Amino acid sequence: MSAKHNTPALKHHFEDLGQQHACERLGIWMFLATEILFFGGIFGAYTVYRLWYPHEFEVASSHLNRTIATINTMFLITSSLTMTLAIRAAKLGNRGELIRWLFATAALATAFMVMKGFEYAEDFHEHYVPGKLFNDELAAAQAEIVGKTEAEAKAHQFKPERQKWAKELAVQTQHKGVDSNKVQLFLCFYYIMTAIHGIHIIVGIGCILWLVWEAWRGALPPESYSTVEAVSLYWHLVDAIWLFLMPLLYLAGAGYKH
Amino acid sequence: MADPTPTTATTPDADPHGIRKDLDKPAQLVVVFLAVLGLALVNIFGSQAMGPGKFALPFQLAIGSIQATLVGYHFMHLKQGDKVVILTALSSLFWMGILFVLFLGDYMTRHLLIG
Repeated sequence: MSAKHNTPALKHHFEDLGQQHACERLGIWMFLATEILFFGGIFGAYTVYRLWYPHEFEVASSHLNRTIATINTMFLITSSLTMTLAIRAAKLGNRGELIRWLFATAALATAFMVMKGFEYAEDFHEHYVPGKLFNDELAAAQAEIVGKTEAEAKAHQFKPERQKWAKELAVQTQHKGVDSNKVQLFLCFYYIMTAIHGIHIIVGIGCILWLVWEAWRGALPPESYSTVEAVSLYWHLVDAIWLFLMPLLYLAGAGYKH
Repeated sequence: MADPTPTTATTPDADPHGIRKDLDKPAQLVVVFLAVLGLALVNIFGSQAMGPGKFALPFQLAIGSIQATLVGYHFMHLKQGDKVVILTALSSLFWMGILFVLFLGDYMTRHLLIG
């Protein structure tokens, strides 16, 4: 039996820790490959409709809250840094630093979800949700400008309870050929993609808090750093996916002139 | 049978399993972080300034790809990864490429059908 077997972190079916870590890394990467394909399917569906209905997607995107999305992007990129620093602390066997970096990552991820919650709440409050809320809000705005020319419609003083998006979209649907159903299609992509991403964030927070617990009870010695690395690989993928969601959803209508 | 040879580190600097062999340098991580952050800001404000158009999406996705490459190479440690890990990462992109080619080849050419 090899002398390398003498560490509690080594599973019995591996020759040494190097082989074990390599297998763990490969295993999580295989899982990440399935995740990439999973999101690839959603991105593919989005691509088809974006190419078919570019104008509606730009219009719909222009009403999303880019300020919150920008702040959330900062949170996620920073959390990638803190997660990588956690691996470093795990390798060095610095338990206090490991727990601090993991907590920082979990806090940033939680902040992301809180901001996302505010954003969803704002969207619901403004009735910017596909379905009845959207249709009723838009129909009310459209009813106010029936029979008006484009110039008159743009100059029209809408009732104060009308939402900003509905006022702009009412003019566009009546005078610029924008199809409100396709705007709602974009919103379906927006909610589905951000919700699936959000679920991944919540799973990530759970895994990170589990790592905190494991580190706290001393179950993450330097020999087990690959456990931290496995969670970090998942976390970085979630971050990388956001780096594409951000432009596809929030920047599609950036700088759009209504 | 238990191995009688002790392998636990006897000095604080000992690294019998080579765990600290590829230790990240914090300064390098911060530089990568700032680069990814900076690119995000370029993407957001650049898109705002440019407005929608045929160059907007390629511009945004190119920046997103550079950011994802930086994250993958440095934060996900592909720079020190085994060949099989790199192959797995590239394979996932290759499969996604096949996915896109096949269904875009279908959906984007349907209007060309005649008869």
